[in-house]
Amino acid sequence: MRGITTFIQRDFLRWERGRVAVFSALVMPAAWLIFVGLALPVKFTGNYLDFITPGILVMTMLSAGLSGGALLMFDKILGFLNKFLALPTPRESILFGKILFITGRGLIQTTIILIIAVIIGASLLHPFQYFMIYLVLFAFGILISSFATTIALYLEDHDSYAAFNTMISMPLFFTSSALMPYNVMPSWLRTIAVLNPLSFAIDAIRDIGYGIIPLFPLAMLVGLAGFIIFLCSHVFRKVTI
Amino acid sequence: MSIIETNELVKNYGDLCAVDHVTLSIGKEVFGLLGPNGSGKTTTVLMLTTLLCPTSGTASICGYDIQKQAEMVRSMISYVPQDMAVDIKLTGRENVIFFAKLYGIPSPKDKADEALALMELNERADDLTRTYSGGMRRRLELAQALVHEPSALFLDEPTLGLDVAARKKIWEHIGSLSRRGMSIFVTTHYMDEADRFCDRVGIINNGKIAACGTPLELKAKLMNDVITVKIEGTCQPPDLEGVWYVGKHEDEISFTAENGKEALPTIAEALTRNNVKIRAMSLREPTLDDVFLQAVGQQEEPYGFADSKFRIMLRRRK
Ligand SMILES: Nc1ncnc2c1ncn2[C@@H]1O[C@H](COP(=O)(O)OP(=O)(O)OP(=O)(O)O)[C@@H](O)[C@H]1O
Ligand SMILES: [Mg+2]
Repeated sequence: MRGITTFIQRDFLRWERGRVAVFSALVMPAAWLIFVGLALPVKFTGNYLDFITPGILVMTMLSAGLSGGALLMFDKILGFLNKFLALPTPRESILFGKILFITGRGLIQTTIILIIAVIIGASLLHPFQYFMIYLVLFAFGILISSFATTIALYLEDHDSYAAFNTMISMPLFFTSSALMPYNVMPSWLRTIAVLNPLSFAIDAIRDIGYGIIPLFPLAMLVGLAGFIIFLCSHVFRKVTI
Repeated sequence: MSIIETNELVKNYGDLCAVDHVTLSIGKEVFGLLGPNGSGKTTTVLMLTTLLCPTSGTASICGYDIQKQAEMVRSMISYVPQDMAVDIKLTGRENVIFFAKLYGIPSPKDKADEALALMELNERADDLTRTYSGGMRRRLELAQALVHEPSALFLDEPTLGLDVAARKKIWEHIGSLSRRGMSIFVTTHYMDEADRFCDRVGIINNGKIAACGTPLELKAKLMNDVITVKIEGTCQPPDLEGVWYVGKHEDEISFTAENGKEALPTIAEALTRNNVKIRAMSLREPTLDDVFLQAVGQQEEPYGFADSKFRIMLRRRK
């Protein structure tokens, strides 16, 4: 669609100009990787780093997506959106450009985290496995970024969005299969964890690591992402009329 | 041939009627929509730029309906909003190239250079717009709007918050664009600017068009001279032969008369008789301010200008 790449270029330019933010977003997942991945004494696996890396990758994508949700809202508050909407480019390209940018940015950040993981001792995988991991992360990124954008458009102001962001990001992470396998979870947590979309992505990446092609979780992710995008473009059309 | 046409355009916000049956026809000219704060100028522009749906009525740009053929309308127009929105993280040039690409222009870089040169921004084009002054940001917005050579250009308060020199510069640019055959729709509440630089003006108040025509035509509806009297306190305007009350603005009341020199003493006498203290009097030719005061001052003024009186006055002039 015409305009999408131009919108994505603009966002990347703006992102790279805000130097500090480029790195600060990586501090949290890197700290998890090093301080929890390397230091936590666990009994259920020999290489906890290998176990936790998929969770941290997904966490990186999650926070990239959630923080990206505010981007379109800022464009709206700052008056850019109105200027874009009066352009002859198809209006949806604004939305899709944004979702693709947030996902792309998340993929860059997860790549850095993945490199750190390998450097500090995670097992190296086959290129095809990495390709599959990116596929999963991409689908998950689309899901989260369109979800976050929908919420941000709906809430309309930054404070309530920031509150929403802090409110859901930690609980989503801790109720997923990121930190421990299902069989060591208390049963109440297991019930939540199997339904948590984060677990779909994490389990899929773990399966890839074990050499299994994760058809079911991947299909779930793609299906969910499709549904949320549909919802998101509906909300977008409503706020822009 | 008219480029912008509106027909009984209405926009309601709940109970509030922000734009009330506005009918306009604008050709290749500079059309100024004049009105006080909250009179519905921005709302009108938003509807014409397809950013807002009208409650009722229709409008078209170059023959394309703003609702049914919105995409075509958007390819015909450029829009500069009232609140400046240039990207401060990008340079001037990047800002313009970005828009050139979105407009789908074949060689965005050259076109951007051209637009920047036209707005006299080429020297600072590679600085971040964070470092631009308000006037430069306005001109940058214009450059963004001009990369695509629209048929109709919508400018919402383009001179708001600028100094005299910057305003003049903006208006000169607007004039030269219009000479290139563009239809320019500009809103403002600076009467003197509209008087000098617009080919035609429409005066809007509470969403209704109160008067529309060339500044000359509108001023000609008033008499030859305008007499302004600075008074202390309030006063009941006196009923005088050959003198018509125009309106009140702060502590000044204005009258219009065919022969101002003769009317001066008459007015002074009448006011003194009513125990009104006069602090100053002046005589001048009518300006758009007077037209505006006359057109919109009515309902704000408890015993102001009577509509019937104005009609009598007009009849006498014919
Ligand atoms: N989104 C909205 N919801 C409700 N009322 C609105 C909305 N936008 C504008 N209005 C009302 O509509 C009226 C016209 O507003 P508009 O912005 O068109 O005025 P304006 O002529 O552009 O004024 P200004 O010179 O201050 O820019 C105002 O009374 C305003 O309060
Ligand atoms: Mg306005």
